[in-house]
Amino acid sequence: MDIILGIRVADGTIIATSKAATRGISILKDTDDKTRVLNKHNLVAYTGESGDTVQFAEYVQANIQLYSMRENDIELSPKATASFVRNQLATSIRSRKPYQVNVLIGGYDTKSNTPSLNWIDYLGTQVELPYGAHGYAAFYANSLLDKHYKKNMDVEQGLALLKMCLKELETRMPIDFKGVYVKVVDKDGIRSID
Amino acid sequence: MSRRYDSRTTIFSPEGRLYQVEYAQEAISMAGTAIGILSTEGVVLACEKKVTSKLLDNDGSAEKLYVINDNMICAVAGMTADASILVNNARVNAQSYLKTYNEEIPCEILIKRVCDIKQGYTQHGGLRPFGVSFLYAGYDDRYQFQLFTSNPSGNYSGWKATSIGANNSAAQTLLKKDYKDDLSLKEACELAIKVLSKTMDSSNLNSEKLEFATLSLSKINPGQVIHKIWKDSDIDSLIKESGVLDDKNTDDD
Amino acid sequence: MSDPSSINGGSAVAMVGKDCIAIACDLRLGNQSLGLANNFEKIFQFGDKTFLGLTGLASDVTTLSEVFRFKNNLYKLREERQIEPKTLANLVSSTLYEKRFGPYFIGPIVAGLDSKTSKPFICGFDLIGCIDFAKDFIVSGTATDQLYGMCESLYEPNLEPEDLFETISQALLNAVDRDALSGWGAIVYVVTKDKVVKRVLRTRQD
Repeated sequence: MDIILGIRVADGTIIATSKAATRGISILKDTDDKTRVLNKHNLVAYTGESGDTVQFAEYVQANIQLYSMRENDIELSPKATASFVRNQLATSIRSRKPYQVNVLIGGYDTKSNTPSLNWIDYLGTQVELPYGAHGYAAFYANSLLDKHYKKNMDVEQGLALLKMCLKELETRMPIDFKGVYVKVVDKDGIRSID
Repeated sequence: MSRRYDSRTTIFSPEGRLYQVEYAQEAISMAGTAIGILSTEGVVLACEKKVTSKLLDNDGSAEKLYVINDNMICAVAGMTADASILVNNARVNAQSYLKTYNEEIPCEILIKRVCDIKQGYTQHGGLRPFGVSFLYAGYDDRYQFQLFTSNPSGNYSGWKATSIGANNSAAQTLLKKDYKDDLSLKEACELAIKVLSKTMDSSNLNSEKLEFATLSLSKINPGQVIHKIWKDSDIDSLIKESGVLDDKNTDDD
Repeated sequence: MSDPSSINGGSAVAMVGKDCIAIACDLRLGNQSLGLANNFEKIFQFGDKTFLGLTGLASDVTTLSEVFRFKNNLYKLREERQIEPKTLANLVSSTLYEKRFGPYFIGPIVAGLDSKTSKPFICGFDLIGCIDFAKDFIVSGTATDQLYGMCESLYEPNLEPEDLFETISQALLNAVDRDALSGWGAIVYVVTKDKVVKRVLRTRQD
């Protein structure tokens, strides 16, 4: 029931992840950050089997950073990052114990100055989307975003739209997800929003 | 005494040298010349083709120039059989990078991977090093057009203009003298012909003794790289245009 | 419902006309009943007149399109020519059979014209690479049943390119309208001796 949500706007990508860490019927923590910074312009948000999630996100993070160390601080683009992650999950799904992790990758391509949002599930299904979410949140958020999303919105408008989605989720989701962490990926890198 | 150190690739001589690697480099310095020149609009690679026999019936494809992927070509000096192993390896590596990242492999990464293989054969016992040097011409969106060389030791380096194979030091002196930073691709081609005409043994230059390739950007489709391995007729007309034959004739007079 | 080949949905069809072929697919990618993307193309071009359609599990569609791009690029460099439809068909078959006991969950179709004779060629496969050679049409995907119905009733031999386009489009669009997991737009390629035409069809978005 974790919530991870992404909205791509004209000059950046917004990622929101719920703060609650749940196990069975209990909320164990209300300050859980379900994101990892891959490099300056790539952020991964994850949900899925606890244990697998952090393990996988940090494995990917290490590999993306290793690439930059080897290649004179050259950053992997969002497209390359997403392809790499997809490849890992597609390989994993046919292994003895697959990672049960779904991710969103928010990125900003500094070469072409384009933001991107990549939706990837544990099967290795990858799509580049204007907005997307994993899990039950997707049903509520997608229908709202279908109606209100406009091309060429700026980050401010995107955040207003995100607020609208969160309000809907708070009313409709059966358990308290303890609010969200919001992060924006744009030309200046990754920043948190209060 | 030195024979003790000759028979294995892995052993340093008392003077701190790796003889097998040096011998490999020596073999290459007798192979046909290959030169590469970087220009603002692209890269040119030109090779000397050693004509072995009139009766040789090859399939018409280039002997010393290989396409590695959409963005890279290379020229070979040394043992062609060794080269084809490494070229195949480079092609597979380029495709596997494309498969994982959905982007063309940056030139330097690919060259590094091939050089890692070459290096391995200077260190692990019982095997001889690869007897080939490469000239790589490539394009990527990080550094645009690039020219690299690599040798049997596994070292590689980037150049504006360079040469490998026989007479490479003479060719490089000529290149150093005539290279300019704002060369057009056509001027680079003519410079390549001019340098080859002076470093090659044979007096009259023609397409039978040359292989030529260029890498440039498409004018219609920005970002798309065009690699062209030249037809004999194109090479002959370039030789004619460059006027190297005219100079030769006047010299003879 | 956890059948891997119908999680994401999607369909494709190929037809033979008079000295031409057409191959078409829908654009939907979903997660069970939830639609995710309406720009997921399932047809890939290899060479000038050779096409591969891949339906089924989206992860495997992407993986296989990457695998065949890999193999085709190496083939082009090695052979110094473009791949023929028949060659691609055998490549697909052997690649799929390599995974006989842990298959990719896909339904590929191949369509194209021979580069020398310009003879049309189409075929389909099961998920482990058994080739189904056909003279008329090949269907694949979650709307397979509906596509068979549409093709059986609309198809006639020796159609000219324009008529073939109309036939394949109507067959695909009306088939996917009766399938909840397919639709959301379509792509049609019509391939003749001297040109390849790609058309994007706007369809109902529900």
